[in-house]
Amino acid sequence: MSLQVYEPMPGKLSSRFVEIYSLVKEYPNPYGDDFRVVEHFNLNIRQGEFISLIGHSGCGKSTVLTMLAGLNEISDGGIIVGNREISGPGPDRSVVFQSPCLMPWLTAFGNVMLGVKSVYPHADKATRKQIVEHSLSVVGLADSMKKYPRELSGGMQQRVGIARAIALQPKVLLLDEPFGRLDSLTRMELQDVILDILAKEKLTAMIVTHDVDEAVFMADRCVMMSNGPKATCSEILEIDFPRPRDREEVFNDPTFFHYREHLLAFLEQRSHIKGETRTYNGNNFIGYLDKNQIADLSQRVHVA
Amino acid sequence: MADSIKDKIKYGLLKGIDVSGFKVLDPPVRLAFGEEPRKQVGDIAKYMILPILFVLACLGIWTVMGPNHKTKSGEVPTPAKVWTAYEDNARFDERQQEKAADFIVEGAEREAVLTATTEELARLEAEAATLAEASDAVAATAKEETEALLAPLRARLDALKAEHEAAEDRREAEMNALAAEIVAGQAQPSALVDLVRENEILEDEANDAEDVIETQIKDILSDPPAEVKAAQMAANRVADEVQHYKKRIDILTKENRNVKEAEYLAKAEEDRAQLVAAEDPKKAVREAKSIARNAERAEDSKTQTYPRTATIFWQTKRSLATVFVGFGLAAALAIPLGIMCGLNRIFMACLTPIISIFRPVSPVVWLLIFQIIIGAFFPDPEKHPLFVTLNDEKWFGWIGNPLAFLQTNPAMIFSACTVAMCALWPALVNTALGVSSIDKDHMNVAKVLRLGFWSRLFKIIIPSSLPLVFAGLRISLGVGWMVLIAAEALSSSDGLGKFVWDEYQNGSSQSFANIILACFVVGIIGFFLDRIMIFLQRLVSFDDGSATA
Repeated sequence: MSLQVYEPMPGKLSSRFVEIYSLVKEYPNPYGDDFRVVEHFNLNIRQGEFISLIGHSGCGKSTVLTMLAGLNEISDGGIIVGNREISGPGPDRSVVFQSPCLMPWLTAFGNVMLGVKSVYPHADKATRKQIVEHSLSVVGLADSMKKYPRELSGGMQQRVGIARAIALQPKVLLLDEPFGRLDSLTRMELQDVILDILAKEKLTAMIVTHDVDEAVFMADRCVMMSNGPKATCSEILEIDFPRPRDREEVFNDPTFFHYREHLLAFLEQRSHIKGETRTYNGNNFIGYLDKNQIADLSQRVHVA
Repeated sequence: MADSIKDKIKYGLLKGIDVSGFKVLDPPVRLAFGEEPRKQVGDIAKYMILPILFVLACLGIWTVMGPNHKTKSGEVPTPAKVWTAYEDNARFDERQQEKAADFIVEGAEREAVLTATTEELARLEAEAATLAEASDAVAATAKEETEALLAPLRARLDALKAEHEAAEDRREAEMNALAAEIVAGQAQPSALVDLVRENEILEDEANDAEDVIETQIKDILSDPPAEVKAAQMAANRVADEVQHYKKRIDILTKENRNVKEAEYLAKAEEDRAQLVAAEDPKKAVREAKSIARNAERAEDSKTQTYPRTATIFWQTKRSLATVFVGFGLAAALAIPLGIMCGLNRIFMACLTPIISIFRPVSPVVWLLIFQIIIGAFFPDPEKHPLFVTLNDEKWFGWIGNPLAFLQTNPAMIFSACTVAMCALWPALVNTALGVSSIDKDHMNVAKVLRLGFWSRLFKIIIPSSLPLVFAGLRISLGVGWMVLIAAEALSSSDGLGKFVWDEYQNGSSQSFANIILACFVVGIIGFFLDRIMIFLQRLVSFDDGSATA
């Protein structure tokens, strides 16, 4: 197996921690041309940055995320995480799924331990136990470790899902509509839990969501995807609220409404327009995504 | 506090009922704890009392209809007769056990048992004599009554016979006269033929009339009054008991293995004395040989047990042992194969033709095939190490061998193999289904967590397919139990199937009742086997909240 290695760009390492270039997803179509879901999706993510991916249902947001997670095969283009092109799931990226996906025959503790065992095969029992207990107490489940999923509420189950993801101590946390099935109060609680964790652990994260408020409140940059098929990164909105963010403060800030309006306007009017990616700072258009970046990337790629 | 304990007991009971699958018991428990009495009483009426009434109605129909159908093996036995058959079988089993115990009891205990048995025998003999007398007395009275009943019939029959004979003589005379006239040329020959014909018809009519009365007499004679039957049965039962006690005393005093051992040792001692005193060398050799022989016999009789007779209870135990051996074999094959099928499409494709072709094959065919194949492994089963070991009483030293009572033989092995062959398929197919239909999300989680093959198998795939695996095993056990009874009947492998077959073949007055009894035993055991599997299935399924139970 040949491994593709990318030379780090001096001084720019953290600014391009995750690079997604010309990403394509095709599904075979026996009656004609292959069906392209995602086409030429480009995005660079800084280390420690929080990206939210927003777009209409079925536009391919989750496809991009699952490709980044390594659960979905990449048809063309590539994804580089920490100077390595990914070729499948890895311990550096963990996923929180839309449904908690807990094993019903294992306790909360057992569910989190499941991944810990395989990621730290050489750690002794006490260390593993410590990691699991720490992750569960971070999400606020220190008292419910011995409970089975059916004894937990939906929100608590999703907390276990988050604990399971962070227990692997990943570099990138991928959230696939993690709060989609929760009521708004629980959703807010869990948003805070995630933000706390990200602040503490300095994780890079990407969230796929339908919720405009959530996208603005949580992310540093909000990536808007055009409608599928051949969906791509259409606009990027930079959101510069200071961190740590206080919910009340953010929601009362007038710029919050600007961002919100912008996203809604995109979803309502511009999401069907295909074109090059525009970048906005606040509501100000600051330019298309630099095409040279793509050329630059392809230059740096060679087979080791 | 008291309330919470009460609640705990209540919910504990309800959970037990739920897990064991006896949902019927739910309303009575709730009623006992005073929960919505109106609803519970309604539920009890609907789901307990009505079904019980229905079953009673079925028993009633059986009781009424059964005796109306006469078969070669007697009339169809009523439920009461089947129950009597059960009691007889139980008594038979009990007696066998008593005799087996008498055979090995030793020392002072033997003396005590002997005394008790002798006393009991004396009492029984007295009782038997009284009962026999009573029975005779009843029979005598009944006979008088019967005679009184028969006398007019007999008188009528005699009168009828005399009348018919007279009529016949008259007709004979008529015929002779006509014949003489024909010879003399005074009458038509055809008139004689008509007369003969008429004569035959009249004779038949006369015979029929006699037959009716004769049948009435026969019926009365062959069907003695109920009180005579009861008295006879009571007398017979005690006479039977007397026989049993005589046999017991026989065993205690003569056949008992310790008595025999002492006997042989005494003989050996006697021979020894003669050997010492012997003057003739030939005699000395003879005595020495006798000592050796008697010592050996004494040694042999030490470990002897009473030869076991196949009672229905023993047959049941053996059937259960056989079905579990076969079921175990089936599960041991089906689960790994099923998991491989579920995991690998190529493997599944390879196995599919084999499953499709062999699954519909009748158990009878498998039985014959296994009989031939397994038979070849054991040309001399009596001496084969497998059976010698399995049937050795002293296998585990002083504890003894808990399997010795099964008397394992090749027939048991190929019956078990037949069960395994037929029970294999449902478990295999269900396991493959369970493994292949595992939740895709769970597999994604496994990928993200980077679980290796084995932890994926044991942590995710097997636990999530267990409910379906157990559903398959449950069907397998049911199929296995049904197949086993047929296999035993056909192959004469000891078990309930053989019991039924033997009863069918020997055709005593009890046979039909015994067959129906066996039918119920098979059914009830099958029911409990199914319940056990339901219980296990509920234990491993995680959706209904019983995974922790």
